[in-house]
Amino acid sequence: MKFRNLLSLLCLLSVACALADDYHLGPDSLRKEGVPQGKLTMHKFTESKVYPGSERDYWVYVPSQYDGTKPACLIVFQDGKWYQDPHGHTRAPTVLDNLIHTGEIPLTIGLFINPGVIPAVKEGAKPRKNRSFEYDTLSDQYARFLLDDMIPQLKRDYSITDDPEGRAVCGISSGGICAWTVAWQRPDAFRKVISYVGSFTNIRGGHNYPAIIRKTEKKPIRVFLQAGEKDLDNLHGNWPLGNRQMAAALKFAGYDFRFVMGEGGHNGKHGGAIFPEMLRWLWRDYPQK
Amino acid sequence: MMYAKHFGNLLAAVLLSCGCFAGDISLEQVLIEGESWEKVVGGMKFCDACCTDNVGNFYYSDFSGRGGIKKVDITGKVSDYIPGIAGISAMQFGPDGRLYGCQGRNRRIVALKPGFAPDIIVSGIRPNDLVVTVEGHIYFTETSTRRVYQINPKQGGSRLKIVAKDIAKPNGIVLSADGGTLLVSDHMDKEIWFFRIEKDGSLSFRSPYASLRLRTRHHPSKGDGMAVDAIGCFYVTSDLGLQMFDPTGRMSGVIHSPQPGKPLVSVVFAGKQLEYIYVANGDAVYRRKVKSKGLMHW
Repeated sequence: MKFRNLLSLLCLLSVACALADDYHLGPDSLRKEGVPQGKLTMHKFTESKVYPGSERDYWVYVPSQYDGTKPACLIVFQDGKWYQDPHGHTRAPTVLDNLIHTGEIPLTIGLFINPGVIPAVKEGAKPRKNRSFEYDTLSDQYARFLLDDMIPQLKRDYSITDDPEGRAVCGISSGGICAWTVAWQRPDAFRKVISYVGSFTNIRGGHNYPAIIRKTEKKPIRVFLQAGEKDLDNLHGNWPLGNRQMAAALKFAGYDFRFVMGEGGHNGKHGGAIFPEMLRWLWRDYPQK
Repeated sequence: MMYAKHFGNLLAAVLLSCGCFAGDISLEQVLIEGESWEKVVGGMKFCDACCTDNVGNFYYSDFSGRGGIKKVDITGKVSDYIPGIAGISAMQFGPDGRLYGCQGRNRRIVALKPGFAPDIIVSGIRPNDLVVTVEGHIYFTETSTRRVYQINPKQGGSRLKIVAKDIAKPNGIVLSADGGTLLVSDHMDKEIWFFRIEKDGSLSFRSPYASLRLRTRHHPSKGDGMAVDAIGCFYVTSDLGLQMFDPTGRMSGVIHSPQPGKPLVSVVFAGKQLEYIYVANGDAVYRRKVKSKGLMHW
């Protein structure tokens, strides 16, 4: 195939994707006049005991209302770079500004963490990318990373609630299944989950969750799953089907869940557009009266 | 043909640049429709130690017989390379042009050159598989002691160092495409262990980066010889066939063994453009043309 043909093919593909993903950010995802802005700071973490040798950037969002007098709730994002991006699919800091200001969600600190890399020592060699290993593995390792590595780091500077109902995890794709895995492994520490186009497929065994959920005593997890009809169908599995299976299993097992199947593909447009709604639903009764 | 080649490269570049979401590499991107395994040499008791040289000729060892080390050149002609030598379970050419081999039954690693007696690099160990780096360092597995060793030939007497231990049955060993990471397969467990190679050649930051599919959870994986292709995918011989993984450790799929009832123990890319996967599979060597290509470390 000639180069030109390939380019036009790629253009066509992107047009097709654009038509399918006609989702837009609403007013709650955009800056509003009179709403105080929290502070977002960037950091680097290189001291992991759970993923030795890994390095990563992370960002901390602290709402302007935070004064340290009472512990804040917490929301953790996988692929933090995308979620904190002021031009990204979700613009989570702005959404948090807006919903904390109106009191629709509690005072919440945001922790936006990138996946780790293990840099090579050899000159010119590539780093070992840890994203799939960290996010797709069905173990408690990533939960331990949050609890033993990251949260203690955060607690040096901020007061964070230990109430698992006050802690949420959010991610997209492999970061989505990772959010579920964190709560599934440690419901004593995290009980709120948001997944955009979650990879409940066989990247590293994630397709087994629906079966496991059906045959495990219900755990106290509240989860919002977003998926898209035009999402991936590849060697690892079929993303819309994987998410449908998850929703069916959650329903069967009696979970407090919401499932939204959109028209989109494997991206964060739809999830980003409904992110404020997801937060409102997750926090609808917090703190419990 | 030329366009097809560029398209392949471009596609690979596009897939890789998409980073997190894409990079999904399926068997379809490796296997060629209509191509299957073809027998190259058969009739041995047990063959092993697939390797290639810097022009794509293929070499293997008649492990249990008297055939020695044979060469299959890029035109397919089979000839003796080092006649008579037995028990070689792994081989690789070093940057010095010599052929390094594990000879566990003689408890040694040797450097071979046609017409010369084997040069003993180290003895008193029981090596299974080895890899030679561009710096000339040798890493090898000693399955029985659950260890990985490193030899730095430039350091005299105490040059043998244990660099990893406590792997159930360390077996296959290979370098990542860029030489910065060492991979070790486990013949018992499902893990493929990844290590960072430090400046002094020691290993750090071990992790079970990829997992082999098992026949049942109680069967050993029989993870054995490994090969890496030009874009960093890796291929592991195992109980269930040749298991392929993408560079981030996600399994791409299982390629059937030519003879599923016989041990699949060694794999290498060879051929003029390293466009063939060669495997040692019990009594015979097979090859298969694929879309992926091997890579030369020097």
